[in-house]
Amino acid sequence: MLPVTYTLAFFFNMTEASGIWELEQFKPLVEFVLDKNDEVLGFPVLGDLETVFSMYQDRLTNTNHILKQMDFNNFQSYVNSFNDITGGSLELEQNGSQGKRVVHIEKVKIYLFQDRLNGAPLKHISFKTSTKFHPDEAQKPTEWLLKALAGELGSHIEISSETSVGAVELYANKTQLKQLLEKPSALVLLSRQRAKSITARKPFHEVCKNSTHAKVLSNIFVSIDKCYQSIEQSQKLFSKGIYECSKSKTHFLPIIHSNTDIGLGDCSYLDTCHKMKSCRYLHYFTLVPKSKKKVDVQAELAMVKKNIAKSEYTVGFCFNEFFKPQLPAQWIRCDIRKLPFSVLGKFAAIISDPAWDIHMSLPYGTCSDEELMELPMNQLQDEGVMLLWVTGRSIEIGRKALVKWGYKVSDEIIWVKLNQLQRTIVTGRTGHWLNHSKEHLLVGLKGDPSWMSRSVDTNVIVSATRETSRKPDEVYDLVERLVGPSARKLEIFGRDHNIRPGWFTIGNQLTGVNIHEREISEKYTKYQQSLKHN
Amino acid sequence: MNVKLENDYSNHYIHSGIVPNTYISNIDNPLEGYPKLQKLKELKQKQIEKHQIPPFGCKVKPKDMPAVITNWCTEKNLQFDVVMIGALSTESVLPVLNQLPLAKLCAKPGFLFIWTTEKHILELSVFLNTKLNKKFRRSEELIFIPVNKNSNVFPEQTSDAVFQNQQWHCWMCITGTVRRSSDSHLIHCNVDTDLQFETSNSPVTSHIPDTIYKVAENFSNSNRRLHIIPYSMGYNLFVRSRPGWVIMSPDVLLDNFDPIKYESSLYSKSLINNKGNHVQYLVSQTQEIEELRPKSPNNSNR
Repeated sequence: MLPVTYTLAFFFNMTEASGIWELEQFKPLVEFVLDKNDEVLGFPVLGDLETVFSMYQDRLTNTNHILKQMDFNNFQSYVNSFNDITGGSLELEQNGSQGKRVVHIEKVKIYLFQDRLNGAPLKHISFKTSTKFHPDEAQKPTEWLLKALAGELGSHIEISSETSVGAVELYANKTQLKQLLEKPSALVLLSRQRAKSITARKPFHEVCKNSTHAKVLSNIFVSIDKCYQSIEQSQKLFSKGIYECSKSKTHFLPIIHSNTDIGLGDCSYLDTCHKMKSCRYLHYFTLVPKSKKKVDVQAELAMVKKNIAKSEYTVGFCFNEFFKPQLPAQWIRCDIRKLPFSVLGKFAAIISDPAWDIHMSLPYGTCSDEELMELPMNQLQDEGVMLLWVTGRSIEIGRKALVKWGYKVSDEIIWVKLNQLQRTIVTGRTGHWLNHSKEHLLVGLKGDPSWMSRSVDTNVIVSATRETSRKPDEVYDLVERLVGPSARKLEIFGRDHNIRPGWFTIGNQLTGVNIHEREISEKYTKYQQSLKHN
Repeated sequence: MNVKLENDYSNHYIHSGIVPNTYISNIDNPLEGYPKLQKLKELKQKQIEKHQIPPFGCKVKPKDMPAVITNWCTEKNLQFDVVMIGALSTESVLPVLNQLPLAKLCAKPGFLFIWTTEKHILELSVFLNTKLNKKFRRSEELIFIPVNKNSNVFPEQTSDAVFQNQQWHCWMCITGTVRRSSDSHLIHCNVDTDLQFETSNSPVTSHIPDTIYKVAENFSNSNRRLHIIPYSMGYNLFVRSRPGWVIMSPDVLLDNFDPIKYESSLYSKSLINNKGNHVQYLVSQTQEIEELRPKSPNNSNR
């Protein structure tokens, strides 16, 4: 964004530097572009510079202009100079091998240039704001600042009285504007940086993409228990490259039984196949490298703690984040339809994985749509985020439910389901019309939670499947990075494998009750007593 | 004991900035390890090619589209079984969609593919629930994921989103009755999946990824396919024509559509199935395809 006065400076500099063209010589071009811009950009010219050149030449025939003598090369430099002077009014693009093409004309810039050529005065667009404090009035800046700070909290202070905004619009071309808008804000950058410093690194092993490695390694493979040993022992049988690779990357070694028919291809179930011994399809053994440079999980956690303590960026976090210990896992086994939610208090984030009634026989009881919609979910949050797992038919109902509970659906997270070989699931009739390789997690927002660290994670989770209907743990980390480690977090319809420190879990398949927050514990006891009395 | 590879790709993204989809092993070749499915798709593509009409483009300004389509339906008696609307754009399809005689344009049974972004999902849901509710059922949600931030088709980041956006959505809606067990001449189920990726080897440079066209072609065995792009795609993405499809867009490169020429090539290229008072224009299938395609279990068990 350049101030208006810059336009002139820019303009004189460029004329001096190029030196070839007189300002007057651009007048016909200005008129031509403004007059013919539709034809230049439209079909069949499509901005082709050579065609534009001949159009321009034709136009000049009427006058006896000196510009008529220029050739195409001259014309290109003429156009480039014009573009320099007008601050990039013509957007040019390489047109294959045939030179350049005009793809867009910023007419405002050309009008501005025309005004300068015609000697029109600079327009100064300005606006006035009501003045309470004016920097000029306060002779001493510190005094003024103190006065401003001493004002009532939340009182409005106008700092400047006159601002010129004219140039902002003139110079914001589409590309610049897009870049400006897409540039992450300082808030986002700081949030990402903090997320990095407080997220404990986990062990990560890339998968080797060279298929011959797996074949070679599977040849020396004797038994699953002794695989690392046998690789060490038979090192000399294969190249050093493969040996080193087996130390740093994961390999999937084909297991060939007597009844394996290689032509059939891979088993759809792979490592979860129940008939591994008799199955004729191919299965694999996962060779994860036993590297010495293992990520030390404990050391990573200690580092994270240290990072939280020394972090100076505290926006969105609890003021006592650095000395507040994380709450242990808490849970209540209950029928969610009966528990009064007022017992639980308020939460910053909620995850819910309802057993949607999807007309399939599943190994657990399902809830009807009505029962789910009727849950008093609106009591659980004043401001925050709710994540709701949905499948097929229930996407629509989930959206409706979130709206009914007072949320605005802001995002949709996709869980890309992977199998043992870190491939997407493409077979096995997993959906009714198409195969399903993913699941959906709706994100609903309530209120205006400006304290959340937005735009840190992406809305695509890539993670392997586990037991039926068990969701990836990555979601918990996403939420913790979003609302902060010590914000209160609730999981509804959780099971025993869902309980975790920092989270409160409720559901009818949990084991017993475990509450650490005193207030909640008291409320829950009262509720239990009231049940006995009735 | 077989150990499991437990990579946390979201955790890795926070530290490395490399998006999780980069690490999907079969991203370049989704059918890796499944020779039967590979063969099936090859054979199906061959049949589709054998029956495909030449590519037709129809250059129409968005504001004129409803009138042109209405004219097709009423004067020219044109109908399509597969209708795709929209493309990789943040513009809304609704202004034009609202004025289209969809029920007339789309045959029964018929399949509708609508592209949308998170921003428009809500209003599109409302649209489908009110106007088309009884006719079109939302049946699948296709997702397309660009390779990373440097992709030509990386979606817009909206300010009210909580997470970084990496997805494009395309809804598949069905009208009329089709049964996956008995209507295999009309549809083949479970050939493709509801998730498609852009790969670094084949970046998307046109209005939609080819893979989504293929999903539609592999699913519906009908030969009448129309794609309406009710907005301009801008300068970065071409609207390319595709054999077997009529593409209507303000900036399609080919402008050769003529109802009579189209109908005659449809007649000469399709397998014609006269069903009472209406005619089906189909892609013929082979015995080998029938053997290879995934089938409903109820067929053999019950």
